Amino acid sequence: MKRLAWPLLVFFIYAAGAHAWSLFSSGKEERYPGMGGDFTLRSAGGDVSLKDFRGKVVLLYFGYTSCPDVCPTSLGALSAALKKLSPDEMAQIQPLFISVDPARDNAKRLQEYSHYFHPKMIGATADLDYLKALAKRYGAYFRKVEVENSSLGYAIDHSSTIYVVDKDGTLTDMIQHSGSTKRILNHIRAVLTEAP
Amino acid sequence: MFKHIFSGMLLTLVLASPVFAGSAADDIQIIDPWAREVPPGLTTSAGFLGMKNTGDKAHRLVAAESSNTGMVELHTHINDNGVMRMRPVEDIPVAAGATTTLQPGGLHLMLMMIKKPLKAGEKMPITLIFEDGSKKDIEAEVRHFSMEKMNRMKMGH
Repeated sequence: MKRLAWPLLVFFIYAAGAHAWSLFSSGKEERYPGMGGDFTLRSAGGDVSLKDFRGKVVLLYFGYTSCPDVCPTSLGALSAALKKLSPDEMAQIQPLFISVDPARDNAKRLQEYSHYFHPKMIGATADLDYLKALAKRYGAYFRKVEVENSSLGYAIDHSSTIYVVDKDGTLTDMIQHSGSTKRILNHIRAVLTEAP
Repeated sequence: MFKHIFSGMLLTLVLASPVFAGSAADDIQIIDPWAREVPPGLTTSAGFLGMKNTGDKAHRLVAAESSNTGMVELHTHINDNGVMRMRPVEDIPVAAGATTTLQPGGLHLMLMMIKKPLKAGEKMPITLIFEDGSKKDIEAEVRHFSMEKMNRMKMGH
């Protein structure tokens, strides 16, 4: 835990600094320079790439389907927020659920799971090494842990953040773990207004 | 005559005993038990409730079981700098006069190997087992994520 705390702290200070900078700078500055970027994953509908969604605001969430509480809470709140958007706003949004548990989450299961939360949500995954590198680029964290005294087998500790990628494919916002529909809605609307 | 006095005392003792030596199950009042509907294909979910201890002794929830699951475990979440870590706990204490709440993002009943899919509106039978071995049968209302209190509250602004 100690080992993790420092890099995370440094990251938060860095992210806060980047955020403060973006508030004062005029014109379009990258809020998270060097972070984010393109990727290709597999889904029930074939390969999905971030590039496919240029012109749309993409909402990324890293999780896994056996996650009994954190993921459904976040995705439930996200879904409720999406349902508050107008059809016109929703047309500009692409939600994407990225499973960090490729061993247990196959494409079909991911599709069913994602559609349960929103008909437009795509569920996708990749090989573990690819996912690790991808999560790192976005500042996400996940680690498989054997759960002692539990028949769960293993759980996955993970950061619960919604990453907002703007219409140009640039990481532009991070919505920290929250069951608050209103907060998620405010963030999404802010990004839609920034880049009409 | 002595026999009568004795049986009278015994009777008093028996009648009075629930007041003086209430079991945990007697002392604990259950508030709004519910379980989350499971997306298709999944057999793991979570159950939530409030436990109000109306007695003057501390109690502990030590286990739970349900005829609709292979296993129920007591779990919690630790939010470690934004990383959510789920861990089993040995028991869940409820101090005298206090209420302990199991809710999303924190303490929960981990419902595992669910036999019949949980559908919103249905009732899920759960038995709570306390430190003194006393048990309490409850029925958790199965809720779709859109029916969750947290979402409802945020929407009702």
